[in-house]
Amino acid sequence: MNVISCTRLTKRFGATVAVRELDLDVAAGQVYGFLGPNGAGKTTTIRMLLGLIAPTAGHIRLLGRPLPDPRAVSRTGSMIEEPAFYPWLTGQQNLQVTAWAGGGRAAGELGRVLDATGLGAVAGRKVRTYSQGMRQRLGLAAAMLGRPPLLVIDEPTNGLDPAGIREVRGLLRDLADSGTAVFMSSHLLAEVEQVCDRVAVIVAGRLVEEGPPARLGATRRRVRVRVREADAETAGRLLTRWRARPLDGQFVVEHDSGRDVNAALVAGGVIAESVAVEAPRLEDRFLEIVEEGTHAVAAGG
Amino acid sequence: MLWLLAAELRKLVRPLVWGTALAIVAFCLLITWGAANNARAGLASPRIPDVCVQAVTAQCRLVVAHAHATARAAAAATAQLAQPGEVGHVAAGMLASLPGLLLIAMIAGGHWGGEWGSRTIRQLLCREGRRGRVLAAKWLSTWIAGVLTLLACFLVLAGAAPVIAAAAGLPAAHAGLWAGLGSSISAAGRAVVVLGLFAAIGTAAGTVGRGQLATTALTAGSMLLALLVAGIAGLGRLSPASFVQAWMAFGPAGYLPTNFWSRFAGAGPSLGELAGLAGILVTIAIAAGIARWRFAADVTA
Repeated sequence: MNVISCTRLTKRFGATVAVRELDLDVAAGQVYGFLGPNGAGKTTTIRMLLGLIAPTAGHIRLLGRPLPDPRAVSRTGSMIEEPAFYPWLTGQQNLQVTAWAGGGRAAGELGRVLDATGLGAVAGRKVRTYSQGMRQRLGLAAAMLGRPPLLVIDEPTNGLDPAGIREVRGLLRDLADSGTAVFMSSHLLAEVEQVCDRVAVIVAGRLVEEGPPARLGATRRRVRVRVREADAETAGRLLTRWRARPLDGQFVVEHDSGRDVNAALVAGGVIAESVAVEAPRLEDRFLEIVEEGTHAVAAGG
Repeated sequence: MLWLLAAELRKLVRPLVWGTALAIVAFCLLITWGAANNARAGLASPRIPDVCVQAVTAQCRLVVAHAHATARAAAAATAQLAQPGEVGHVAAGMLASLPGLLLIAMIAGGHWGGEWGSRTIRQLLCREGRRGRVLAAKWLSTWIAGVLTLLACFLVLAGAAPVIAAAAGLPAAHAGLWAGLGSSISAAGRAVVVLGLFAAIGTAAGTVGRGQLATTALTAGSMLLALLVAGIAGLGRLSPASFVQAWMAFGPAGYLPTNFWSRFAGAGPSLGELAGLAGILVTIAIAAGIARWRFAADVTA
């Protein structure tokens, strides 16, 4: 069952198209990464998912219900951008008013979510004294209230130290293992790569790539070839059948088979010093996708 | 709905609300103190025309006697109004006029407009997406804060005003301590309706201003504008300020003012009490309509 299903989702602000015909499906129990450069439309999409802004066109189904349906939104745990709290209340009081605002069902869970996010010791302190990392944890604690089947969170590890990032990563995985779907946007691509089951990349409001993070890299593996300096010119000519560029005395060939590349060189009389297949990290692939997506959007007007 | 209201009331326990409510109570005490001192000064030196200060004509004796009698009557009226049973008129009049308007404007600004400024509106709407309920909870909680301040003002004045009157050396009141309590409670009940009007305007202003300062300014400014309009012949009868004037039946003030409204509301032909009440209810309905319309728009905070 899909917990999020968007069909041709579009949002315009005047003449600006923030999100353009976005199709997206998130299955129950998945950790789904939502990536894109600044201004790509990530937060606009999240706001539409949470009913804060209305789509200009298209449809959203959240937890099986078509939006706008406040019941679906109130069953979704959420944290948008930097979490906001009432500074004159303590951490525990902030969670209490959050639970009460949701109908009081989660009022008995404050201890559980405070412990899960490591805030038990500071729960009695006013939020105005919290560090950014503590506020981030409190935002996650608030999102977890009521054991929601879906969490929609923006930059969950923002402001956390390395130990905190590791804890949150574990927390998200535990939630997913217990059946909670997590839809998260992040700019920490290493985190996304480690935590997410699937990833979508959005550029200029358009979905440009979607799939498991490993596949996103694997489909664009590349071959790094080192040849003798005397053979460089010939090798360059032989490799023109692929996208290849010289880099630091080597050639980087956009192809996923080292065997093909080596065979082409041997057939042309060039013996390579080394041939190595590289699977780019998600970060490299993300930057490539963004670059390609930006060109495509510019070309398409 | 009750959980949501409980959450909103919990959020009201903050320095801004305490401070403003305390300032209003202190203002009521200050007004009483000033009135008692003015009444004593009037008693000690009644207003006698200069020509009669030295003269001993029969006509001047009459004028002097009348001046003393007027001063004694004014002092006695002040002393009577300062009794626990009567002082509710002062509390009700203050809270149903400019001091009450300022109180509600401050609370609406912090409690409702501030939700946008601090971006907590996102979290609130993600927990309770039924925006009509959120508006109702904001209106009710703001109203309740106003009513509690009225009650506090009534109780503090009931305890302090007789002491202030006695300390100022005013003559003893003619009637007993609790004389006029019924009419005081009736005035307080009417003030509760006016506070509901101010709270409705504050709630609508929050959805228009979407910020603390803007909400405070719009709440206070709209009613101050209504006060100005109330002075315009013909049009003035349709001003919400005229509705308040008619419903509260504010009269001319003695040493101890029972409102800060009638002197600004114009002296046009007065509406009946029921017409005033109907006007207030229509104004609340219009404010609710504006709030619903504005709050249905995208929330981009």
